Amino acid sequence: METIKSYLENMFRNLPQTEEIQRLRNELFLNMEEKYHELKKEGKLDNEAVGIVISEFGNIDELLEEMNIGTIDNRDVYPTINLEEAKEFILLKSKTSYLVGLGVGLILFGVSLLILLTQLAEDDLIFRTLSSNAKYTLPVIFLFLLIVPAVGLFIYSGTKLERFKFIDEGVFSLASAAKVVLNKELSHVSSKQSFGTIIGVCICVLSPVAIFIGSLFGDSFSAYGVCVLLIMIAIAVFIFISTGGVSEAYKKLLKIDGFDPERQKENKVIGAVAGVVWPMAVCIFLFCGFVFNLWRISWIIFPITGVLFGGFSACYSIIKSK
Amino acid sequence: MISSDVIRGYNDTIILSLLLEGDSYGYEISKNIRAVTDEQYVMKETTLYSAFSRLEKNGYIESYYGEETQGKRRTYFRITQSGMTYYKEKCEEWGLTKKVINKFVKELKDSGDH
Repeated sequence: METIKSYLENMFRNLPQTEEIQRLRNELFLNMEEKYHELKKEGKLDNEAVGIVISEFGNIDELLEEMNIGTIDNRDVYPTINLEEAKEFILLKSKTSYLVGLGVGLILFGVSLLILLTQLAEDDLIFRTLSSNAKYTLPVIFLFLLIVPAVGLFIYSGTKLERFKFIDEGVFSLASAAKVVLNKELSHVSSKQSFGTIIGVCICVLSPVAIFIGSLFGDSFSAYGVCVLLIMIAIAVFIFISTGGVSEAYKKLLKIDGFDPERQKENKVIGAVAGVVWPMAVCIFLFCGFVFNLWRISWIIFPITGVLFGGFSACYSIIKSK
Repeated sequence: MISSDVIRGYNDTIILSLLLEGDSYGYEISKNIRAVTDEQYVMKETTLYSAFSRLEKNGYIESYYGEETQGKRRTYFRITQSGMTYYKEKCEEWGLTKKVINKFVKELKDSGDH
């Protein structure tokens, strides 16, 4: 019975709450309820009865058209997404977020490798026969060797998702039936994501321990600690991105939790700022590394940028919402 | 089950014919349609209510709140005078339609036999 109730509720979600519609909705509910009870009396199982009642509901749009009721979002202007397309988008999103997560993880792993090799070279454990110039350039090459496949993954994911760009921009309306199904699945997906988030955060919180332990053994060991920290962060970021992608897809489709049109504008501004700030951070990182040979410490620009940027977007959201 | 496309133009007639036998409400009407047709035609909920809306707009039926039973208050429908006239017109129209279509259906059957 609850299923029928929530089915109907979702069908009426986007409609203006007038008396006429309330009455219609109540009427439809009474009919469905009576049909359900009669089917149960005939000996149908609960699932069967619910299935029959819902399958015999029909198409809400037919009714709305007859009654001259428009939904709140202009469903005529935007393309409608049915359940099949929604599922396709979710599947693709889960694949691409896995790949993007892998790409970001690779870059972080590359930075970790860079610090490791630089430190090992400094401690004269590797590259002993090479000139001091080559000693410091070679590790950077390794970093770039990892950045190349990562960029490849980003571009591949981007082109794959190009077809669904309109979903990112929020210019669509979701078919009523698809909305019902996605809403039902959302709680399961969200709990999966929060599990991923918990693990990721735990790894992040634990990661500085690597530096503390390293510094107990001396200066160069604290650099190795940084390597371990970065690898842990790489794993955490991979978990964040790959588990976040699916629930983000659901939220985008349902236009909730920061993907409603109002918040979408806000995200655009933050996105634009991110587009400037992060490449700048990369430039500073590479500049300090190449020019001053500060590979061991210049990575610190990333967490600093992260914290400052996080602060900025939080402040921006608060100011905007007021 | 019959395709709803074919029958669409006569949904209103079906409902009016049931209302001729007495006032009724949504589920009862849809149940009666199912029973009369031996489950060969099941009218969807939304089809039924868009027909109600259309019929009421044209003045062929009237709606009123029924007595409250078990805390539930249903909307009942009653056929009007002009609804009855419309029903008769539709019945005549169907008689004609049937004749016309039957001609073609029969001819097709005959030619198939040869």
